[in-house]
Amino acid sequence: MTVQPLIQCRGLTKSYRKGDTLITPLRSLDLDVAAGEFLALMGPSGSGKTTLLNLIAGIDSPTAGELRIGGQDIARLSRSRLADWRSDNVGYIFQLYNLVPVLTAYENVELPLLLHRLSRRERHARVAAALQLVGIADRHDHYPRQLSGGQEQRVAIARAIVTDPKIIVADEPTGDLDAESAAAIMDLLSRLCDELGKTLVMVTHDARCAARARRTLHLEKGQLIEPGRLESREAAA
Amino acid sequence: MRLLPFDYAVRNLGRSPLRLALSVLGGALVVLLVIVAGGFVRGMDGALRATGHQHNVLVMGVGSEESVERSEISAATASLIEASVSGIRTRAGVAYVSPEVHVMLPVRAGPAGERHGNAFLRGVTPAATLVHGDVSLIEGRLPRAGADEVIVGRMAATTIGVRQIDLAVGAQLRIDNRPWTVVGRFTAPGSVLDGEIWAPLADVMTATRRETISCVVLTLDPEQAEFEDIAAFALMRPDLKLAAMPEREYYRQLSAFFAPIRAVAWVTASLIAVGGLFGGLNTMYAAFASRVRELGTLQSLGFRRGAIVVSLVQESSLATAAGALAACAAGVLALDGVGVRFSAGAFALVVDATVVLIGLGSGVALGLVGALPPAWRCLRMPIPTALKSV
Repeated sequence: MTVQPLIQCRGLTKSYRKGDTLITPLRSLDLDVAAGEFLALMGPSGSGKTTLLNLIAGIDSPTAGELRIGGQDIARLSRSRLADWRSDNVGYIFQLYNLVPVLTAYENVELPLLLHRLSRRERHARVAAALQLVGIADRHDHYPRQLSGGQEQRVAIARAIVTDPKIIVADEPTGDLDAESAAAIMDLLSRLCDELGKTLVMVTHDARCAARARRTLHLEKGQLIEPGRLESREAAA
Repeated sequence: MRLLPFDYAVRNLGRSPLRLALSVLGGALVVLLVIVAGGFVRGMDGALRATGHQHNVLVMGVGSEESVERSEISAATASLIEASVSGIRTRAGVAYVSPEVHVMLPVRAGPAGERHGNAFLRGVTPAATLVHGDVSLIEGRLPRAGADEVIVGRMAATTIGVRQIDLAVGAQLRIDNRPWTVVGRFTAPGSVLDGEIWAPLADVMTATRRETISCVVLTLDPEQAEFEDIAAFALMRPDLKLAAMPEREYYRQLSAFFAPIRAVAWVTASLIAVGGLFGGLNTMYAAFASRVRELGTLQSLGFRRGAIVVSLVQESSLATAAGALAACAAGVLALDGVGVRFSAGAFALVVDATVVLIGLGSGVALGLVGALPPAWRCLRMPIPTALKSV
């Protein structure tokens, strides 16, 4: 029996116009990601890795190609259905945390749960568990401005996992952190895959972070670079 | 559609105290203006509509139906009507027939006559208190004929444009360069009579060197006579050149005459409100534009654009509603009853429940309309672009 990959990209292309120029950050890309996999995407700026991440997260739509997640072609969903799909299936971790400054850590984590039919008690149980998991339960009533960068990112991770999504996407999750905090965040992300079986797709520039992933893919000019080509390029360098 | 918590909108208000203050102040100013316009329109309209008794008839000169001030009829008309028309109301044998002179004259007030303006002077006999039943003396006494005495309406000072103290009982006035003494103050709540000066008919006729009167106001007994009886009398005496008109109809026509002024009040308020709206749009756009990345984040979590628009509108409406409430409170406390003069006398601004509701409604509408375009402008941005925003 063949196991279907959780994320399946076929001929995935994204292009947009900037003035008279047609820009194609992602060009006919094929990619499979298995459920529970921790995938790192690397590549130079403008290589299309964040574009790919945004397409997988359902916050952008491909110009051509097929993007199946859990068997569903999300490229065909309307804007509002895609919003519903995101709330059910994706947790997004941002480089700059993107917490809502007027809400406490607890309220920030609770925010995605408001999109689900849950009682206040159920929400409380989930938020408490998520904050406990990321080790920030004692700061639940703090506002983002009262937290350090590492703590903010922990809250952001709790927010990303609180709805128990199939996929977690992370865009440079350690890009704004010192080495110690970055290591702690990477430990946490690894645990999400190893212990909770989450599928994690992470964009990073940091080779040490990428090394924590089970698989690392390199993009250049909107296309995946084959591992053999990459090795020969590194050897030449 | 799942909405963002109301708390989110409330707390966002506190993000920039200066912006909040501008929104509240802007909303308050616009709503205050709407309240002034509403109070002006309702006050003027109410005063003109409230003036005149249901069974009163005005008998004046033909061709003067639009303005009694222009009317001149024989001074004997009152006694002729009283003798010829049956069904006029009486009390203790005194008929409700009031011959009157209506004239606008320059008045000087103050110790040296330094404050001046025009006053609506009504020359009356004691019968005037019968036909104008809503007039009541609130201070002093009625004027005596031949003594150059007057009584002044509660809002006469506003009509003339002088201070209340200048028209206090005992004060001296110069009306058309002739000295008069204020011996009493009266009120006719809500009607234009409140802004008039009353003097004995004979004294006014002497002062104005006229032998004619302006009109006769009479009250019919509704069980014995009707308006057509007076109209028939006017027709049957072409030598007197009379025209009859129900008193309420006269003031209704006067109200219609001032309709363009009321319309101008609304148009002015609306234009300034639109100006305020553009100011509000600018403020709200600045507020929302500084949060584009946050709005993108909310969308990435799964909140629909409609839900975010609702939250932004709540935020904007809360600010303007706070301003509207303050403006309504100021309107009720400071503007209600403030006198305004116009060519037919004076009236008080009326800030009643209707005007307050219009004010509150315009405040909320300002928040709603002021939030939609900037919200739309921020939310139509693709989510990845919004997330990259600084």
